This record gives sequence, C-alpha cells and structure tokens, in this order.
Amino acid sequence: MLKKFLILILKGIRYRPIRSWLTILGIVIGIMLVVVILALGDGIQNSIKSTLQMFGSDLIVVFPGKESNPLASLFGGDRFKEKDLTALARIQGVRFVALEDIASMNIEFLGEKKSTLVNGIQWDLAKILMEQSEGIKLESGYWPSDINSSDIIIGNKVAQTLFKKNVHVGDEMIIRGKKMRIAGVLSSIGEQMSDNIILMSINTFRDLTGVRGVAMNADVKLNPDANVNLVAKQIKFELGKQDAVRDFSVLTPAKTERLAGNVLTIIELVLVVIALISLIVGAVGIMNTMYTSVFERTKQIGIMKAIGATNDNILALFLLESGIIGVVGGIIGITFGILMAFLIGLYGERNGIRGLFSFASLDFFGLFVILFLTFVIGVISGLLPARSASKMEPAEALRYE
Amino acid sequence: MMKHNDTQPIIDPVCGMDLSEFKDLKTVTHAKTKRFFCGSFCKGRYEKAPERYEGEPLMKLSNIWKVFDTGTIKTEVLKGLHLHVWEGDFTVIVGPSGSGKSTTLNMVGLLDRPSSGKIYLKGKDITELDDDRRAELRSRTFGFVFQQYNLIPWLTAEENALLPLVFSTAKANEKMLKHFFGEMVLKDRMEHRPSELSGGEQQRIALLRALVNDPAILLGDEPTGNLDSITGGKILDILIDLHKVHKKTLLIVTHDLNIAKKADQVISFKDGRLVRNGTVHEKLR
Repeated sequence: MLKKFLILILKGIRYRPIRSWLTILGIVIGIMLVVVILALGDGIQNSIKSTLQMFGSDLIVVFPGKESNPLASLFGGDRFKEKDLTALARIQGVRFVALEDIASMNIEFLGEKKSTLVNGIQWDLAKILMEQSEGIKLESGYWPSDINSSDIIIGNKVAQTLFKKNVHVGDEMIIRGKKMRIAGVLSSIGEQMSDNIILMSINTFRDLTGVRGVAMNADVKLNPDANVNLVAKQIKFELGKQDAVRDFSVLTPAKTERLAGNVLTIIELVLVVIALISLIVGAVGIMNTMYTSVFERTKQIGIMKAIGATNDNILALFLLESGIIGVVGGIIGITFGILMAFLIGLYGERNGIRGLFSFASLDFFGLFVILFLTFVIGVISGLLPARSASKMEPAEALRYE
Repeated sequence: MMKHNDTQPIIDPVCGMDLSEFKDLKTVTHAKTKRFFCGSFCKGRYEKAPERYEGEPLMKLSNIWKVFDTGTIKTEVLKGLHLHVWEGDFTVIVGPSGSGKSTTLNMVGLLDRPSSGKIYLKGKDITELDDDRRAELRSRTFGFVFQQYNLIPWLTAEENALLPLVFSTAKANEKMLKHFFGEMVLKDRMEHRPSELSGGEQQRIALLRALVNDPAILLGDEPTGNLDSITGGKILDILIDLHKVHKKTLLIVTHDLNIAKKADQVISFKDGRLVRNGTVHEKLR
C-alpha cells in the first residue's frame, strides 16, 4: 500500500511542479546555510588556530587600543614613546622587546602604483621572532643587517600577485619616493595581511614618515621559563605609568585564542540563527503549500473518501507529501551546501586562507541527521493541514467548489 | 422541526414509505399479519413475493432527519425519511430540486451522517459506525457515480479506474474487471488524463472505478446529467447490463426519463420525504 501511496503522491506533486519547486526552494536555502556552516566550521577553526600559531607561545604583543580591535590603532594614530617600550626589557622573564611601527604607504614597481601596509622593524630581533616564534622563513633572499639601509623584505603575495609582474630579490621598488631594494621574499604564511606585508628597518621607516622616538607595537619575547601571565601583568603595570597611550592592550597567546574563539562563536551563532530562520520560513512555506493544496483538493479528498479512503489514509497521503517535499529540499540543499562550501574554500585558497574546506572533513552522519530532520520538518509542517483534510465528511468535501 | 415518534409508524414493507398520515391504504394479509401499502404498485410487488419482503432489505433508512446548519440558517433537507432498498432492484429516485434526493443517496452510501434516525445494512444498524468502518463499507459495499464524473485530474484513465485498490486491501474483482475492461475499455485512451477524454469516456471510467471492488450497490447521482442523449444512452445500456446480467442493485437519482423507464420502480421525493404519487410511483412504461 505504501508503494501505491508514494506513486499517488509523486504524481500529485508533479501535477503542480512550479508550486512544489517553489516550496522546496524554501527548504533548500535553509539547509544549504546549515550545511555550509557545518562544512566550513572546522576549517575556519583550523585557519584561526594556524593564524594564532604565528603568534608564538612565548610572545606578548603590546599595542594601543582595545583587544577586540587591534587594527584601530592604525587609524587612531596612537603611539607609545620608544623609551617606555624599551624599558619593558628590564622586567624579569623578558628576553627582548622588539619595536614595530606600521603605516600605509604608496609603493611603485615598474610604473605600477599600489598601496599597502609597511612595517618598520628591528632586523635582528624581527628575524628571531619570525623564524623562532612564528615559524616564518624566507622563500628567497636574506635578512638585512644594516639598520640604515634601503633593503626591504616583501610578503609572498606582494612578490607574486600584487603587481602585474612578479617581484624578485634584487628588484627595486619606490616607496614614498625613495628607492628600496628587495633583499628577501617571505614564504607564504596563508594569512591575507601577512602575505601582503612589506618589512623595512625601523630607522628607514622613521626617515620616510618623519616621526621619531615613538613606536606603535612591541613584541615582547619571553625567556623559556618565564611565567607568561605574570610578565603580562608587570607589563600592564609599567605601561600604566606612561601617558602617551591611555588605552592599550597586552595580548598573551591564551587571551588571543580566547578572543578568536569568542569571535568565532558569535559568527557561528549569527549564521546558525540565520539558518534557523531560513528553515522556519521554509517550514512555513511547506505549511502554506499544504493548506492551499488541501483547499484545492477538497473535492478530490471527498472522491477518495467516497471510494474507501479512511481518515488515516488521507492523513498519510498529505503527511508523506509534505515529508517528501522536505526531503527533496534537504537533498538539494545538502548538495548545494557542499558545493558552496567547496567554492568558498577555493576562494579562500586563492586569497591566502588555506584549509577552509575539505571533503574528508565532511560529517556524513551529521548530513544524514540533517536529511532526516528535513523529513520531520516537512511532516510537522504538513500536520495541521493534513488533519483538517482527513476530518472532512465525504459529502461535505464533494460539495466543495 | 424534528419529529420524535413515540408510536411505531405504519411502513410500506416494499418502498419503506411512512404511511401514518395517509388514509385509504391498500392492504394485504399474509401469515395472519396485515400489511399496508402506499398504492397498487407496491401491493402488487408484495403479492408476487411476500417472503422476499418479509425479510430485511439490503438498505433501510428509518426516520432519517438531515439538518444543514450554517450557523445562521438551519435547513431541514430530510424530514423523517423512511426508505427500503431491496437487493437486486433497479430503483430510480425523482423529484424537484432541493427535495432531498442527493442527500438520501449520501445517507445510503455513508457519505454523510444523518442528524437523527437509523440506517441498516442487511438488518444491521450501521448508523453510529466510526469513520474507518464507514470507509471500509464504502470501499466494499457501495460504488458511486456522479454527474460531474469526479475523476482525479492528475491520474490517467486507468489509474483513476483502479484507484479504489490503492485504499483497499481486497483484491479487485478480476471477473468484473475483465468483463468491463473488455466492454468499456477505451483501448488507447487509458493512458490519457481526464482532461483529454470526452464526457462519456470519463463517465465510463467513473463507472469502472465504481465497480472495481464489486460493490453490492451502485449509487448514481445524475450519471447522465452532463451527457448528450446518445452518450447517455450508452451509459444507460451499461447500467441495464449491470442490473440484468450481473444482478447489481442500482439506486439512481435522475431526471432522465429514459433511465426511469428501465427501472424496476420509480420513487418520488418531495420536501425531504417519499411522496405518495400513484402515477409516478410505479414502473414506467
């Protein structure tokens, strides 16, 4: 009997294809969003973790502004006094303090002009930080040693994609009207900002900006046996005495991971809410379609009852129909969701964000659960209309015009 | 206003009419029991086979009232209807519009519930059966044919004809199917949907659907109402064949005198009850 029911139902769905497909579309969108979130969730977490790994576990970063918005200082213009930052080296447990300043500058290569972030750093200390703490190496070239030279090191994307022509070691680039020589190219880090960076000596940086005696950030490298939290507290205490920057942040690795985790949770929550709303809209769409279907088929319900269909038969017909609409929407939604996640992963790869999506990371059991849920959503959505259909007296239904 | 009889009504054993309000009734005494009849036709039928009419009719409607209540208006369509349908009879119901003919058919066929009164199937009270039992009876006992054919638009002719089998665990009557598929099969039209068939073809499919479970009674509500005379004649031929050859009990509501002339009896309705009309209430010739 179930087979005959299914044939009857499928024929009914195909009789009104546009309405059926529009209803299915509502479920497709909701399921697609849910699948994208699930498929990319692990990838996003891993990407953030690998970004955090660059941070180094023996490093504390000091910068102006709130922890939640480290880039605000770029626009705010707050700078620490150099002497206040270098004084942090006296704290027990601190191996050294590497100063850093950042500004957006116009750069020119072979007549082509671009704008990118330029970091003024201390070559010797930055080399230790990048190679030891952050695991970043040079792909080609060397680390300059002359603090007054015009040598620069460029990020991997600056070398390969920023300009029409690739930039190589030995090439010259003009930054704020000054000729700079490419000493080295960093290997790909997999993070957008870092791969587009330009590094130069902090002295050269100050020559270009005309601002001296200040620095934006400090990377505080710790001794292996240092107590990270204790050092962080002491840094806060010392910097609390200076008045150049009122609001500043002292970011330890653990705090950064926590912050990133919070951001990720909020993003996931928002996406889940959007997906749930979309699913609810889809479910309401099914209910609307089923109610309309009941009204349109009132006479046919009467005919079926007249020839022997029971109330349960009618209920089953409509519930199965709404369930099938849900499942079909689920299958298409899952398919498109995986496809969309794949495309997002591909886009991420091309823009320096690796590992967002992989087929191996798909939770097939989770997808099966989603498919089952779409059937349940369909059935629940169709329940009220199906009940009203099943309760009609045959004569009453047959009289309906 | 509903009539609550405290005393037993006088019932014509043949047609089931309530004779309590009438005088000058025809009578027959059989086995020391006096029987009253509405007219010579019923009296004559009884006299030919009294044992038949002493038994239980196939369907008996007893003091049926049906009130349609829309909330603001109450309409009494059936007012204390009594009716007997005997197995093997071809009965036609005639009457003006609104007299309760179709409502009576719905009562007999369990498509609707009476507001009060009793319905018996072979002597068994089926008035208060639950919905599932009523559906089962509709599936096995009654076949319906409607004026508007009432086929499912998205199914083919063949699927429409066999639709009762979807809701029934019983097997189709193969002999009946073979006979009527042979007689009525539309050959290459069976894969067409109803919108692609003529009225006559649709009604033949509807008849086939009504017969697929070999019901005891075939109920027809103006089966030729939407057809031209020639097509209607073909449907009539099928009905006659069902009655004469296959001994089907037919209860047909119609204005078509051609059908009425072929019936064993014609009963007349007025104001929700059978009317005593000697001219009409007899076999038309």
